[in-house]
Formats: sequence, C-alpha cells, structure tokens
Amino acid sequence: MTRKPTLDRERGETLRPADFDARLPAAAPPAAFPIETLVPQVREQVPAVGQRATRPDGRMHGLGQTRFIDDLAFPGMLHAKIKRAGIAAARIRAIDTRAAEAMPGVMAVLTGREIPVNSFGPSLKDQPVLADARVFHAGDGVAAVAALTEQIALEALERIKVDYEPLPAVFDPFEALREDAPRVHAPESNVYASKVIRKGDIEQGFAASDHVFEGRFRTQMVEHAPLEPHASIALWDANGRLTVHSTLGRITLGRADIARVLALPVNRVRVVATIVGGNFGGKNEITQEPVLALLSKKTGRPVKGVYTRTEEFIATTTRHPIVMDYRTGVTRDGRIIARKVRLLLDGGAYCSWSETTLGKACILSAGPYRIDHLHAEAIAVYTNKTMTGAMRGFGAPQVCFAYESHMDDIAAALAIDPLEIRLRNAFDEGSASPTGQVLHSVVVKESLALAAERFGWKEPRS
Amino acid sequence: MKRRGRGIACMWYPIGFTVSANPSAALVKVNEDGTATVLTGTVETGQGSLTVLAQIAAEELGIATEDVHVVSADTDITPMDTGAIASRTTYVTGNAIRLAAERAKAVLFEVAAPMLGVKPEQLEARDRKIQVRNFPQRCLRIGEVANQAQTVMGQPPIGSASWNPPTVALDPETGQGKPFSTYVYATQIAEVDVDDETGEVDVIRIVAAHDCGTPINPMLVEGQVEGGISMGIGFALQEEILFDGAGRQVNPSLANYIMPTSLDMPEIEVHIVASHDPTGPFGAKGVGEPTSVPTAAAIANAIHDAVGVRITSLPATAEKVLAAIKEKRAREALPGGGTRPAALA
Repeated sequence: MTRKPTLDRERGETLRPADFDARLPAAAPPAAFPIETLVPQVREQVPAVGQRATRPDGRMHGLGQTRFIDDLAFPGMLHAKIKRAGIAAARIRAIDTRAAEAMPGVMAVLTGREIPVNSFGPSLKDQPVLADARVFHAGDGVAAVAALTEQIALEALERIKVDYEPLPAVFDPFEALREDAPRVHAPESNVYASKVIRKGDIEQGFAASDHVFEGRFRTQMVEHAPLEPHASIALWDANGRLTVHSTLGRITLGRADIARVLALPVNRVRVVATIVGGNFGGKNEITQEPVLALLSKKTGRPVKGVYTRTEEFIATTTRHPIVMDYRTGVTRDGRIIARKVRLLLDGGAYCSWSETTLGKACILSAGPYRIDHLHAEAIAVYTNKTMTGAMRGFGAPQVCFAYESHMDDIAAALAIDPLEIRLRNAFDEGSASPTGQVLHSVVVKESLALAAERFGWKEPRS
Repeated sequence: MKRRGRGIACMWYPIGFTVSANPSAALVKVNEDGTATVLTGTVETGQGSLTVLAQIAAEELGIATEDVHVVSADTDITPMDTGAIASRTTYVTGNAIRLAAERAKAVLFEVAAPMLGVKPEQLEARDRKIQVRNFPQRCLRIGEVANQAQTVMGQPPIGSASWNPPTVALDPETGQGKPFSTYVYATQIAEVDVDDETGEVDVIRIVAAHDCGTPINPMLVEGQVEGGISMGIGFALQEEILFDGAGRQVNPSLANYIMPTSLDMPEIEVHIVASHDPTGPFGAKGVGEPTSVPTAAAIANAIHDAVGVRITSLPATAEKVLAAIKEKRAREALPGGGTRPAALA
C-alpha cells in the first residue's frame, strides 16, 4: 500500500534535511486585511496638481503589506555574507577558502579573482567588487560565502584565511596631498578630481573691498543610515538570464554596471527594485549584486544578501568631509565684491560620485549671492578610508555651513543684521550665477522674507 | 544656564545632473474606461515620487490621481530613467510623463473630434471628460473616447516621451557655462537653547521656507522638508564617523553613532514659497535634497547668537561647544579681549 505523496514529502525527497532551513525565513504568512478597491469620487481630485493626494503605498505600509527585499523568499534560497578586510591598505598574498568550503551548509565561496570584470564606478572605474590584488580601505570585501543560513555563512567567513602584506596608508587629506604620501591608487598623485570657477578679476575685487574676511570651516564624515539596509536577491533562469531584486535607487545604471562586471549582454540582466526603504544617495550604485549573482550561478540557487548595520557604515558610501577656506571682500555696507574659495574633499578609497560632489560644491560654494569677482577651486583626494559618494545635497550642506557661518561673521563685524546682509547680496531674477548662467524663477529673497516673517525675526527679543 | 539664540541660513540648489545628460523616458497608456497606467523607470525610495508622478499624469489627462496607476522600477518593463538622484524626479521624470500623457491625449482628441463635430485643437481634457473648450456641455466621458479609440478606431491611446534638462558644458579654464537647467532656493531659521555649563545644544524650533516651483503635492513637500531637517540636525550636532589610527571605523553602529530620534526633533514650521518655473511640469522644480542643506548652518549661527562662539567644524557636539565657550571666557579675561570678529584688512 503506497501512501499518497504530499507536496512536502516530494520536496523532502529532493532536498537534504538541512536544506529545509534554506526555505526559511519564508515570506510572511498572508495576514488578514480588508481588501478595498479605492475608487475616487468625481471631482474629488480634479485638478490633480496641488492636491494633498494620499500615497498609494501608504495603505500598504500601514497594513504591513509592503514587500521589501528581506520580505521576499524563493524556494531553495541561500544567504550570502561578505568577509571584510579589516586592514586599510594591503597586498593580498593569498586567500585560503578550503576550511570554509568544507563546512556543512556552505554551498559556495567566491573571491575577487573569479569576477569577470572586477571594477566599477559611476565615473572612474576604480572600485573592485571584491578586492583581489589589493585592499584600499578596511571595509573592502575580500571573499563571500553562500550558505543555507546567515549564521553558517557568518561562521564560514571566520574560517577564510587571508594572507595580507600591509602597505603604508594615508588617512588625512592634507597628508595625502604631500609629495611623499603613500599613493592610494595611481603612482602619480592622490588627487583624482578638480574643478575651477573664475569670474571677474579676483585681485581687483579684493583691492576694491573695504574689508576682507577669512575663515576655515570643516565638516565630518556621516552615513546615510536608511532604515532598510542594502539588500538584494540574485537568481538565474535556465537560459542564463539573471534577475536581481535590489534596493538600488537607479536601476538603469545598476543593470548596465551588473552586466559589465559579469560580462553579460545588458538584456540578459533584469533589475527589479521594490519600494526602497530610504536611499538619500547611498543606493545609487551597485554593491553586492554581482557577488550574489556569481554565488547564485555557482550553486544554481537564488542567493540573498542583506547588509548588516555595520556594513552600512564601513562598506557603503558616506558624505565627503570637506575643509573649506573662504576669503571674502566686502564694502562698508556689506556688499560682497570678491570671494575666493578653496575646497579639499576627502574622497576616501574610491571616486564613486566625488566628481559630481566636487563640481556641485564648487559651483554652489559662493552661496546664492551676486558676486562679481569669484575664484572657487575644489580638489578631491584619495585616502585609505571608507569611500565617500552621493549623499543628499552632494557637497551643498558642507559649503552652505561654510558660506552662511562666514556670512554671519561678516554681518557681526559690520554690525549689520544677518537677514539684512543676505537681502543686500541675494540673487534676483536674472542674476548671473558663478558660472555665468542667467538665473530664472529666483525666489531666494522671497524665501528669506517669508521665513523671517513666520519666525518673527523682526519682533523685539525678550 | 540655558541661553537662547537664533540663526538664519539660506541656500540655492540645482535640479538634475551637472551638465551630463540625465534623461527620463516614460510611457502613458489610457485604458478602455479612462483610467491610465504610467510606466517609469524611477524608483520610489520613500519620498512619495510615484504619487507626484501620478498627479502629473492625471493633471495632463484631466482625470483624478487615483485613476492613475504607476508601474515603476523593473528594467524588463519600464523605460529608461536616470533614477532617484539629484532631486530630479519631479522635474525630469515629471516632464517626461507630462509629455507622454500629452501624446496619449492627442490620440483621444483625434478620435473625439469627429464625435463632437469639432477640430482636435478645440478640445480639452477635464473632470474625466473630453470637452469642447468654452463649451463644457459638449463633452464625452474620457472612457467612452478611450474605448472608441482602442476598440473601434484601432488607435490605442498610448503616448511615450523622454526629457533631458538642457545644459551647456562648462569651460574647463573658467568654469563658465550652464551646468543646470534650474535651481531652487530656501531659507531656514533655527532657534536653539545652549547650556553654557555643559555645551549642550537643544534645537527648539525651525522655520523653513522652501521653493520647489509649483508644489505638486504640498503634503509630500512638507514631509521632505521635515525629513531633511532631521538629517540636518544630525549633521549639525551629533553624527560623525570616527576612525582609529589604523583607518578602521570605531563607531559603526547605531549604538554609538548617534542620530536624532523623534525626541530630538524641534517644532518645525514648513512654508512653501510661491514660485513657478515654466520649464518644469506645471511649474514644478523639486525639493528632495535642498531640505537638509541649510539646517546645520542655521543651527551654527544660532549657537553663535546664543553664546557668542563660532563653531567652525561639525558636528557641534556638547564637548566642542563647551570648549569654545571656555576658550572665549579665557580670552575675555585677558586685557583687550572679547571684541567682535575683526576685519583683516
């Protein structure tokens, strides 16, 4: 007498007992929730522009029905973890993965040498997916493991032995500029990007000024810290076509980069983003996606990778620390005539979005002010620290801290009200920007007036 | 004792990439019942962009926001988009979607014109109807026209378009050129209490006045400003990645990398500056990044106003502020000390 095979038993025959773990964590069981097809009432939202329209994803979030990457699971899915270098600059002599590979539950191990084109980056392709020959900062990945559970993968990372030859490292951007500084990448220089903006005649401008003020301002390295960490799942179909579910905020660039790194035609790669749980610029380029894809190819199984909070800090981009030198010439009544700005951006180990950050910081560094004589220059240098990249504002919060602190110092020295000195210098409709662009839809004075009025700036202070 | 201070900061910020092409493409399909489906390659990252894009499509098609379903972020399905970066989604993707909707609408007008006995140029789409301009009683339901277009005339009302902000390359020597198509402006004013015995800074209130062109969805603009200010407060007062001598981070966790929580948030007033940019969809520009730009500067200026010390490096931690206060007191104790910042020449 044969027992009728159940679906579970059929699965049990093809999977080893330990593999049952691979089906965990399963997608959350469907919760009971009211299903309503919301239909708008006639004229309720016409015209549409200007309405405080409810977000269609709001109901999903509220009911806990939004599927973030970590809520997705595929049959047989494995979990990947990446080993971080923990040393800021080194040559990799050898990587021994045998002990990790021998562990029960470990399905595959990957090193940088197995990546077809092991470099990427939005402008300079200076970043390895996994470090192969050299380590450039302590958060570099050096090997990856796919295992039945995250715990097994983490234990396997401990058993991977990397033989490093430590190299001299540089951590300070000023030291990185020195002739004798260790070179992070190119042998010629650690400077990898620069920008200059010149308008008018800076020396003439200072000569015509009644007063000249100077200031140096610095900002720190910060992290985007989105609620949802970087997370992706890679899986292949039998035709060798790759699908990546990812938290990428830029799927077009992401697909091109993944295809390039894996040496695949672009149309053999599909990138699907879900609702992303916060980006702020930190999810603008690929991170672990090619690693997951190659682990998935090795094992024939879907592979998921979710960064830990620590990895969010040490292995993803951060905001550029900038040292900002300002020199400003003004008239007696607080009109800015000349401004010289010098910005030194600490780029960390890779270029990433530094060129954009440097350019925007340089253009915006004069502030929203009419200045006839301007000289702004910015350079970015490599250091053996966490890479800096795109982050909400691309250098603008840094330079705004500098030009607005500097502005208040000038106002105080000249005994002019901070609001008043800004109104005297702010752009008007049709003003020329530092790059000579004629500006339109300019409302900086309106924003100053509105904020001051609502704050009660001119009311007597207690 | 606690000393109150106030500080002001204004800023400008561009929309889109610096010179480089950063196009968006979009597809708009009007369905048989007059609802619409929009295909976009941008990604919703929590800011509400898909809602704003639905509103733009709805406005152009003369239907309600909830009549529009937005399909996003799948490279097999959705057209190319430069993505959720550079505060560009409302302006660039929004322009592409408005244009695509306009083209879908042109098909509807072509089909509706003979049904209403007028020329397509005389038609407008409003209140879910295609109607003769100035004669709204002469109208057809948009669903009726869409169904006629697709099932009788064999002209499915589908429009596709792309848009890229116009720029002019910068001269490599002088940096002169037109790097961006448009900019937004904003002012934030912070009110703080500084404890002059501990250096601790408490942000009491922030009044923000932001320009975003036409606010497509004022509620989402307010959300962006509030979120941006919370990031700005962390940047101003608390957050800092620290390294040991060997280049390893020493505080890579939320236990010792301190971010503002809801308890640290001040009272925030958000005001939207009246503005209209003819190059944006329905006059809109953008608001995402600029919201966190002036916050730290406003707080630093408020600290100066409160206790007379200039914080020149962020974050303005209690330790740093207290050290500056002590240094100022020591300076003032010297003969001739305590003058306001002197001009250098």
